Amino acid sequence: MSTERENDRKKGTEPVPHTIAAFQGGSGAAALREGSPVPLLRSRRDFLCGAWNGIGGLALANILADDLEAGPAALNPLAPREPHLRRKAKHCIFLFMGGGVSHIESFDYKPALQKYAGERLPRPEGLTGEVATALDAPHIAMPSLWDFNRHGESGRHVCSLFPHLAQHVDEMAFAFGIRLDNNNHGPATLHLNTGSQFPGSPSVGSWIGYGLGTPNQNLPGYVVIQDPRGGPVNGSAVWGNGYLPASYQGVRFRSSGPPILDLERPADLSREQQRREFDLLKWLNAKHGERQPGASELEARINAYELAFRMQAAAPEVVDLGRESAATRKLYGLDHPDTAGFGRQCLLARRLVEKGVRYTLLIHGERIGQSSWDHHTDVKGRMPRNAVEVDKPVSALLTDLKSRGLLEETLVVWASEMGRTPYVQQNNTPDPKPGRDHNQNALVMWMAGGDVKGGSKVGATDEFGIGGIDPIPLHDVHATILDLLGLDDKRLTYLHQGRYRKLTDIGGHVLRQLIA
Amino acid sequence: MSIRRLILVLAAIAGTAAAGTFEDAVGPLLESNCLPCHGQSARTSGFSVEDAESVIVGGARHGPAVRAGNPAGSIIVRVLRGELGPRMPLGNPALPEADMAAIENWIRQLDPRTAPVPDRTHWAFVQPRREELPATSDVQWARNGIDSFILAKLEETGLDPAREASRETLIRRLYFDLIGLPPPWEEVRAFVRDSSPDAYDNLVDRLLGDPRHGERWARHWLDLARYADTSGYEGDPENYHTWRYRDYVADAFNHDKPYDQFIKEQIAGDEFVRSLSAEPLPAPGPEHVVALTFLRLAPFTEPRGERSRHELLSEMTSTVSSVFLGLTAGCAQCHDHKYDPIPTRDFYRLKAFFATVYIAPARSGDIFQIGGPQPAEFYRPGEKEWADEQREQYQNELKATETEFEAFQEALLAKLKSAKREESRKASEAEAGEEGEPTLRDLAKAIKEDGADGSGSGQSALFSADEKRRHASFRRRIRVLKDQILRVEPSAMSLRTMDPPPYGPSVPTTYVLNRGQWDQPTEPVEPGFLSAVSGHSRPAELIQVDRYQRHPGHGRRMTLANWIASPENPLTARVMVNRLWQYRFGRGIVETSSDFGKNGAPPTHPELLDWLAVRFADEEWSLKALHRLMVTSSTYRQASRRHDSRAQETDAENRLLWRFPRQRLEGELIRDSVLAVSGRLSPSQGGPPISPPLPAGLENELDSQYENNFWESSDGEEVHKRSLYVFQRRSLSLPILQIFDAPALAASCERRRTSVTPLQALSLYDGEFVNEEARHLAKRVRDQGGGGRASQIRHAFQLALSRSPSAEESAQVMEFLAEAGSEEEGLVGLCRVLLNSNEFVYVN
Repeated sequence: MSTERENDRKKGTEPVPHTIAAFQGGSGAAALREGSPVPLLRSRRDFLCGAWNGIGGLALANILADDLEAGPAALNPLAPREPHLRRKAKHCIFLFMGGGVSHIESFDYKPALQKYAGERLPRPEGLTGEVATALDAPHIAMPSLWDFNRHGESGRHVCSLFPHLAQHVDEMAFAFGIRLDNNNHGPATLHLNTGSQFPGSPSVGSWIGYGLGTPNQNLPGYVVIQDPRGGPVNGSAVWGNGYLPASYQGVRFRSSGPPILDLERPADLSREQQRREFDLLKWLNAKHGERQPGASELEARINAYELAFRMQAAAPEVVDLGRESAATRKLYGLDHPDTAGFGRQCLLARRLVEKGVRYTLLIHGERIGQSSWDHHTDVKGRMPRNAVEVDKPVSALLTDLKSRGLLEETLVVWASEMGRTPYVQQNNTPDPKPGRDHNQNALVMWMAGGDVKGGSKVGATDEFGIGGIDPIPLHDVHATILDLLGLDDKRLTYLHQGRYRKLTDIGGHVLRQLIA
Repeated sequence: MSIRRLILVLAAIAGTAAAGTFEDAVGPLLESNCLPCHGQSARTSGFSVEDAESVIVGGARHGPAVRAGNPAGSIIVRVLRGELGPRMPLGNPALPEADMAAIENWIRQLDPRTAPVPDRTHWAFVQPRREELPATSDVQWARNGIDSFILAKLEETGLDPAREASRETLIRRLYFDLIGLPPPWEEVRAFVRDSSPDAYDNLVDRLLGDPRHGERWARHWLDLARYADTSGYEGDPENYHTWRYRDYVADAFNHDKPYDQFIKEQIAGDEFVRSLSAEPLPAPGPEHVVALTFLRLAPFTEPRGERSRHELLSEMTSTVSSVFLGLTAGCAQCHDHKYDPIPTRDFYRLKAFFATVYIAPARSGDIFQIGGPQPAEFYRPGEKEWADEQREQYQNELKATETEFEAFQEALLAKLKSAKREESRKASEAEAGEEGEPTLRDLAKAIKEDGADGSGSGQSALFSADEKRRHASFRRRIRVLKDQILRVEPSAMSLRTMDPPPYGPSVPTTYVLNRGQWDQPTEPVEPGFLSAVSGHSRPAELIQVDRYQRHPGHGRRMTLANWIASPENPLTARVMVNRLWQYRFGRGIVETSSDFGKNGAPPTHPELLDWLAVRFADEEWSLKALHRLMVTSSTYRQASRRHDSRAQETDAENRLLWRFPRQRLEGELIRDSVLAVSGRLSPSQGGPPISPPLPAGLENELDSQYENNFWESSDGEEVHKRSLYVFQRRSLSLPILQIFDAPALAASCERRRTSVTPLQALSLYDGEFVNEEARHLAKRVRDQGGGGRASQIRHAFQLALSRSPSAEESAQVMEFLAEAGSEEEGLVGLCRVLLNSNEFVYVN
């Protein structure tokens, strides 16, 4: 395992920077321009000429006018694009468990901890950071509070808190001992979701939208559904576009009412009146355009209104769960208060995939409140509550996608922003409700669908689950996600402030063991 | 590599090609001795011996390795001979004399006239030249120097400039450009009718003197300064005093503070003071303290000791470099800069200027420990009186509210007590009862978890919905009042220099950090300027502020600021004139306006850039003079319409400015313009941030357990202040701004993107904000236009678009109004349409 990664590293010589423009045949000189995510066209006018009376044959969702009306800017930054690599997955559902799921009580089986229960753990060689400091001080080891059992042909151990997910282990590929750059929620959440612990970088979904566009222009290409109880740490920075254009922002679907902000026309406006107004708007814009011939950014804006009009019909339909059968609703646990919240999020995610949405981010857990996975106290009471909220819904999502033949073309990713310590948070007084502290060294993730090799794994933590043996950098996981969606992380670049930026910063190494 | 340098390099190589000495003699011997470390892929210190060109250009550490015609003065020879350490090849014997002779012969043959000048002569590292105005065949068109340069390029390319834009267009353009608001129709009419020869110049002067000019241009600067009112990350806590910096910036633009002074205040505002006697250093003036907020604006989270300090100081270093110098020095934090001659060592030498920064510890109650402010009295006219009054008012209200809340809680607490008693009677066996009397905290918890909310207990609700609502609203009100009191405290989110020894520690040593890792120090370094710019790597001569050596750390940042804010610095003036150019013409003369390095775009008009930069420094760094020069040029006054299909072929991107580039308004300007035409824009300027109400539902979903993290929706007229004053929360932007490409507020943003998305259409068409303002606009139209439809239409156009409708437009709208269900519906509909029109959001 480690040798293979090692080799991969050696092979990874200085990547040739490519923007999308570059691999689509744009000139190198143009690729040097700030941004320029552009399919370069010699003349935009050729494309848009005569588009005044409607949208012509062009399905334009978003137009990046890019300040430069006549420049060879992207016509439609969200138009579907050819991937770099041939891969089955066309969509991605990212399940983000906010707060730091205990790897010890989920997927990382550590029987050796039993022997040390209540005692001190040895400090692994080479470990640095806050966990290492804590290991030098008195502490009390705490093994998993629940049993693990083997499942499936792969024989993967899963904690008994996740009975439903356990049935899918043969579809899942696991990565153990992933290391994050920071041991606290704010930076770690950003690291997981944007590739950098510092604010201001585009989120994973933004990069994917930038790389692949999206198939259905009547819906946003990147949808975010957060926990109905509240938003995550860092708020919208988790799905922000960073330095990429706003077209690649995640669009938050609201938990009730019209899914998209301002989707519905004002209450006092009739549909007929709205149509009349759109007609007048179009007419005025056309008159204005006649005085500014060839101004494609103006035409783009006219088209955006047409698309908005269509989105008004498409978006409410996609969130209308009334169309789902009772059996399906039950499968996702919509009939029970514990599972209804995340069940609805998961069911929506499947519907979004069906409608051609490229990337869906589901967030479970509100900031670091009582309803997140941040179990500094009372693992015993809180872990089962959180587990039950997601176990059945996520399992249902996998089952449902598979039965509809969608799992093949959908990459499902489960991740949190950190693991937890194998010792108790309080190190001196006996704690009646022991909890676990943050652990940046031991994140566990799994993926399923697309070209994921079911039943596989990569990486491992030491026998106590303190940290990874040969830790997997998060960049490698990001590179793997991109790869499974047909994107080469080294070619997916954006020139910003003097550097070709990547999701994986200096480049990641694809975890080939997880790919079929 | 710039085109100019590439040509020079190629010419130099061509000159020697006949001799063939590099390929035959020099290349192979360098290859066998140096390649492992200095091949194309390893490029240790950025130096490669792959080919002649690479050797000449040299590496990041020493710059060009070869001085044509002068072997003894060439770095490569000196290094190989051990005159410059470390001797190469590292760890191997020196090259035999025969090999050295071959190298020296090759260098001797190179022609110094065509060889590249020393490396730091990347165009941006060389002093701007005092350029002569180029001659043009059309001698009528140019109004000032700008035009001569632009026209010369156009003529060279065989293109004609556009005709002058109409007066209606020009006044609209000037209004948005200089004050960020649409011109009132009366102003347009008066300007169109004003036939005096200085009508245009008078208008420019009036707008430059308008206090709204500072508001408009402050927004640009705040983008660069990564301005926000919160820290970001977990809890996104508020920085209560950053708004004072925002007002400082607006003042600076309004008062035309010389740019060199503006730089010094933001980098070293606390270090203007000196002590010539034995007395203590006087305290810096409040304005200077406020200016220093610039260095404190980075996102920040719960600190982790030395690591956090390293991150903070590195961020200051990178931001100062990119904002003022247009150099991405931050790229050299972990390794030598890949493209520019900025070795890692230089990054840490630059960082050493910030080593004596002192940040006050967090105030009590700051659970995120983002650090405290510095004292800074209110200094703007009338501000102190205003703040005192506000503070008193809030304190009184807080006292009253707290008293009221106390009484209210007493009643609830009584209820809770009796419930608890009841409970313990029932469960008399064991556990209960030992908890003692419930506290206010228990009360809050009990209310949060009370039955009806469904969270857990399952028992019936103890408190009524109204009690819960009132409890929550009391708490919010108290939180808001406390925040308000903090905001008007005489403080700034600023910093200062550390206390000197013996009261503080010795001046900290700065180390080069291995791969940028905070815990892997290597070589110690002294504060020093970027060697690529200064031409040497000697330590900077630090300013000493007193003769007794009592303040050894004081003056470091001012030393750096003086070097940056100097006419001798080749970058500073160029970078700033280019920024102004970019905000005005949509694209800088150097398109990558925060990257003047080798990987940045070369200037489209290098001579013009130099001419402007020299003039800027000559005119005492006056930004208003620069604005005036630009907007009074013929270049600026061109129409935006594509007038020439040939130009469209040759220069579709309009890089040569054969017409004025049309621009879309930023989100802030769209919001401001809507309010301006609806007549509801609040003229009040400055002060703590405002929080316009969020769209329904958004706040609840982003609310959190942290009491200080909610959107304190403002009320009253102040919510209609300009967008400059909208609370800048890093975890949540006002949707109408975010959707129109507002920056991420995390790092310096030198240029905004312009996306066009359907979500923008939804926001402007369906959103509460535009619809409410459309109704106000309709009322305004009715009030001013009377009952007649034709007159109403005329007024609607004049108010919204600053022009009268054409006959055709009138007729079309007349028809539209006739079809509407009611007069009100028609008129509001028309206003909504106008606010959504392309003409409204684009400036020609």
